[in-house]
Amino acid sequence: MSNVHSSHYGKEIRVAWAIAVKDMRTYYTKPPSLMFGILFPFSLFLSFSIGRNMPLATQIPILISQTLFFASSSIGPVVIPMERANQTFDRFLTSPVSLFSILLGKTLAGIIYGAGISVIPVLVGIAFFGSQIVNIGAMIACFALSSLAFSALGIMFASIPGQTPGQVMMPLNFVRIPLLFISGVFTPIGELPTWMQVVSMLSPLTHTVELARYATGGETFFGPVLNIAILTAYAAAFLFMGIRFHIMNQRKE
Amino acid sequence: MDHINFEVKKGEVFGFLGPNGAGKTTTIRMLTGISIPTKGTATIMGYDIESQSVKAKEQMGIVPDVSNVYNELSAWDNLIFTGKLYDMPKTYREKRAEELLRMFGLLDRCKEKVQGFSRGMKRRICIAMALMNRSQLLFLDEPTSGLDVQSVLVIRDLIRRLNQQGLTVFLTTHNIEEASQMCDHVAIINHGRIAVIDTPEKLKRTVENLQSVEVAFETVSPSMPEELKEFPNVSNVVKEGDKFRLITNDPTSVLASTWNYAKKNNLRLITVNTLGPSLEDVFVKLTGIRPATEGEGNNRMKTREMPRRIAKQ
Repeated sequence: MSNVHSSHYGKEIRVAWAIAVKDMRTYYTKPPSLMFGILFPFSLFLSFSIGRNMPLATQIPILISQTLFFASSSIGPVVIPMERANQTFDRFLTSPVSLFSILLGKTLAGIIYGAGISVIPVLVGIAFFGSQIVNIGAMIACFALSSLAFSALGIMFASIPGQTPGQVMMPLNFVRIPLLFISGVFTPIGELPTWMQVVSMLSPLTHTVELARYATGGETFFGPVLNIAILTAYAAAFLFMGIRFHIMNQRKE
Repeated sequence: MDHINFEVKKGEVFGFLGPNGAGKTTTIRMLTGISIPTKGTATIMGYDIESQSVKAKEQMGIVPDVSNVYNELSAWDNLIFTGKLYDMPKTYREKRAEELLRMFGLLDRCKEKVQGFSRGMKRRICIAMALMNRSQLLFLDEPTSGLDVQSVLVIRDLIRRLNQQGLTVFLTTHNIEEASQMCDHVAIINHGRIAVIDTPEKLKRTVENLQSVEVAFETVSPSMPEELKEFPNVSNVVKEGDKFRLITNDPTSVLASTWNYAKKNNLRLITVNTLGPSLEDVFVKLTGIRPATEGEGNNRMKTREMPRRIAKQ
């Protein structure tokens, strides 16, 4: 019985990986992926950081967090609507795998995209601005959990039945942009009023910023244990809700 | 869909006919797992499509109405990726991909990106992808729609060959002649309900009173349709290009009347054919959608899709 189960899970993982690899080959260099995943976070960072009286090394965790946030959450909303328009998403639905594996594959594509691009600010920070990674475990947790949670967030929004990336990106940005202002990106959480600190604690981006700061030797407000716990909870919740929403879509069709 | 109920026998070609919007594609989408039905049950080779969906999907291959190939990938990569979706071992999927590309005449272009391929070639790749897992049941949704004549003939021939090898085919089409030529059984669906299910020939027999005589004269006068309508036993006259189709339940008497009419008016007959009822006649009777005739401009869009009927042998 356990062999049957292990072969079943093995198959699901192999198929999820095949979907992720196909998405990487097909969609990573598409203009919407580059625009929403790379240009958007970097230009946002530059527009808010240039002219501020802060050493660049202390701003590197912000750039890492923003890149993880935008790049990871952009792949699902780019890939799934385009696949819906070409009807290639139907290929997955008619293949003998669970919806979980299909969405896991899509999530993996977002994780690898987000984490891969976010390595760039880490390397730039170390090479040119004197940044240091003082806690590699925290940085790995930051990358792994944040890219997973944000990629799953993108997949969840991609359940909106649109056929162009813009139809999903617009509502997604209604959520992503406000999160920037309550997540300690531009204003340290310690300087916020108490009610805003509570709101800030509920934002997943807060915990990415905190973990990135902690990993590079900066100060944290909530502490790494709470950061990891909340990011894990969000990753699970987004994955679960993403699957539920996609099933609801199938029922509506 | 409204309480549809049907069974497809193993090894047969089952046609699902209906006008646009009747529910053909919706039925396929539910049977193949793209949509989830709100009510009811369906089994594929004994497997329930909801509770045993993975097993059910392992039995089938799907060719949707749009060739949903990955344009950014080569023909080879499209097939290999499909093999991966079915978790086929590497050597087996490569062997099968090569076999299918050869069968479909695409092996020499298998490394080219699909985006440069013609519509017919993309259709062939799409069918090849549906056959990667050696499925027992093939769903074909309007497989020849929008293709050139050569591609249509190639695909029809291929479906026949696959069926002869034991593959069960579920074919949706609004091409009635295609269904008549290819299907063992036909279901006609309209407004989400199945109007009738039977073999094409039995269905044709239900409209025996729709026999007709097709005539063409060397010269045609404007009063001719009205004059032909006056023949005994002619219920209607339909002008089809340069020919007239005289609907009757007694073709013999109409033939005699036609001969006398030509002689009396000194007209030369170019064509005379007697036509049995066609599947199109059954379709028209059940769905109320009829081929365009003079003065029926409103129906032209609907009926442009109707194929011309073929003279009964």
